Amino acid sequence: MSRIALFGSLVLGIGALTLSFFEGGYVMIAQALGGFGLLWVVSQWRHWTWFSALGLVVSVIAGAGGLWLGLPMGWMIVGTLGGLLTWDLTEFTRRLRFAAPSDEVSTLERAHLARLTIIATLGVFIGTAAMLVQFQLTFEWAVLLVLVAALGITQLVAWLRRGGE
Amino acid sequence: MRRSLLLGLLIYGLILSGLIMLRGELLALSLPLVLYLLGGLLRAPHEIELKVERTLDAERIGPDEPVAVTIKITNVGRSLEEVLIEDNLSPQLKIQDGSARHLLRLPKGKIASWTYKVSGPRGYYSFPSIHVVSSDHLGLVGREQTISTPGQLFILPPVIRLRHIAIRPRRTRVYSGSIPARMGGPGVEFFGVREYQTGDSPRWINWRASAHHSTALFSNEFEQERVADVGIVLDGRIRTNLFGNGQSLFEHSVTATAALADAFLAQGNRVSLLQYGQFLQWTLPGYGKLQRERILQALAHAETGGSQIFSDLSYIPTQMFPAHSQVVLVSPLHEDDLDMLIQLRARGYQVLVISPDPVAFELSGLPMDKNSALAARIVRMERDLLLQRLQRAGIQLLNWDVSKPFDKVVQGHLGRPPAWMRAVGGIL
Repeated sequence: MSRIALFGSLVLGIGALTLSFFEGGYVMIAQALGGFGLLWVVSQWRHWTWFSALGLVVSVIAGAGGLWLGLPMGWMIVGTLGGLLTWDLTEFTRRLRFAAPSDEVSTLERAHLARLTIIATLGVFIGTAAMLVQFQLTFEWAVLLVLVAALGITQLVAWLRRGGE
Repeated sequence: MRRSLLLGLLIYGLILSGLIMLRGELLALSLPLVLYLLGGLLRAPHEIELKVERTLDAERIGPDEPVAVTIKITNVGRSLEEVLIEDNLSPQLKIQDGSARHLLRLPKGKIASWTYKVSGPRGYYSFPSIHVVSSDHLGLVGREQTISTPGQLFILPPVIRLRHIAIRPRRTRVYSGSIPARMGGPGVEFFGVREYQTGDSPRWINWRASAHHSTALFSNEFEQERVADVGIVLDGRIRTNLFGNGQSLFEHSVTATAALADAFLAQGNRVSLLQYGQFLQWTLPGYGKLQRERILQALAHAETGGSQIFSDLSYIPTQMFPAHSQVVLVSPLHEDDLDMLIQLRARGYQVLVISPDPVAFELSGLPMDKNSALAARIVRMERDLLLQRLQRAGIQLLNWDVSKPFDKVVQGHLGRPPAWMRAVGGIL
């Protein structure tokens, strides 16, 4: 079940990025992304789990680059999300290899995929909604937002790591 | 790189890029990643509070016999969404059935239990701890804990039953046993003739000797049989045990030692064990089943070792063996050992050498060509010469070709001789 989801998200993510770059006229980038996608498939077959981290980075950079180049934002979000899900599922299938044959792997898989589906759906909706609502920032606002965001996320992560006391 | 760190860096990168370039789409692109990160962090595991019990269905088994290990885990803390539990096993132990590692979900108060079977070669194995890794479903935040659950497993050497080993030390102990004591008294074997004493059974009267004297009667005297002190020395030196291609005679030596110790203890003797290898390992003398268990456990620990000090047998602590007792050396032998063995004999010890034959052993693993045959012939001559010298020094010797069963070889060479041979003095 996880492996099907993994390959599905890989094809969806890389496919969305490749297609949108191709249709946008960036054939070289599309070819490079397609080649990278094939390598990613090979890495799954060879159990190179580290490759998925590279895949995630490439997906995010490609998504951001596509948005900067003015490609359709829906495809970019789907592409980035596909990279994120592939990265997650690669790690999850690696962890599943530690399971004994008698373990209830399907229960773990169901719980994981359910959570992942919720996050992916919410991510798409919120991301799309955020892109539709746009307003112009001044430089001062931008600096302030950077500081607030950095401080806020750091505090939040620290609080969560302490166990939410 | 930690997963949460990578994700955090990407999120920061997108936010910073969006703010620097004043592009809201980049900020929006970071939102799925932020959601994912928060989803993982919100469900991060808390302190691992597990109660772990491990039970083995046997703590002493033979080589390659399976032993069932049961793990019972109770979660006394908060729910754990995904937890990997692994029993830390020695790499020499092989899992025959089941798994020592499990990935599961442990809600609060849940009890998980499983059994797996392991087997392995001779040795002592400890089960020190169980390693637990807990993480959220997304695997972003993990906690590790090693829970101490001490356990142990002795895989003892196989014990070959030997019927009787004929030894004859110069000095025996006071308790009756089966070793000829070189003293007249109640016994079975004929020892000599003495003048009749009041209380002697009429059946003991030697009528042939008495017929030569008109005034006196003579009685037969029998040899007392008592228990003896037996010190077994197990040679664990690498230089004598290890050969090409990693082959070792040591397991055969250990098997022989276990069989000898069992046989001597079964005869009622007081037996001690000295392992001579990288260092000296001494098992104090003792009798009976308890001592048998001590020796077998010591043999489970036994392994070969190299040491400059103990490279030859000159550091055998002879003061640990009672004077004039029986010393049994189990060793493939090296030519340097000759002097020490002769010294032992000269000090009054009755020495028995059980020597697994290294020449036949090594030859069995070599291709049968002209060079091997010539080399084997030369080495065989050297060994024969060494064995001859030992025998001339009065050392009892058993050259054991390990391809033959030990009990058959011992029965043929060290078993009790038949009665007719004993009657004509054909013993030792």
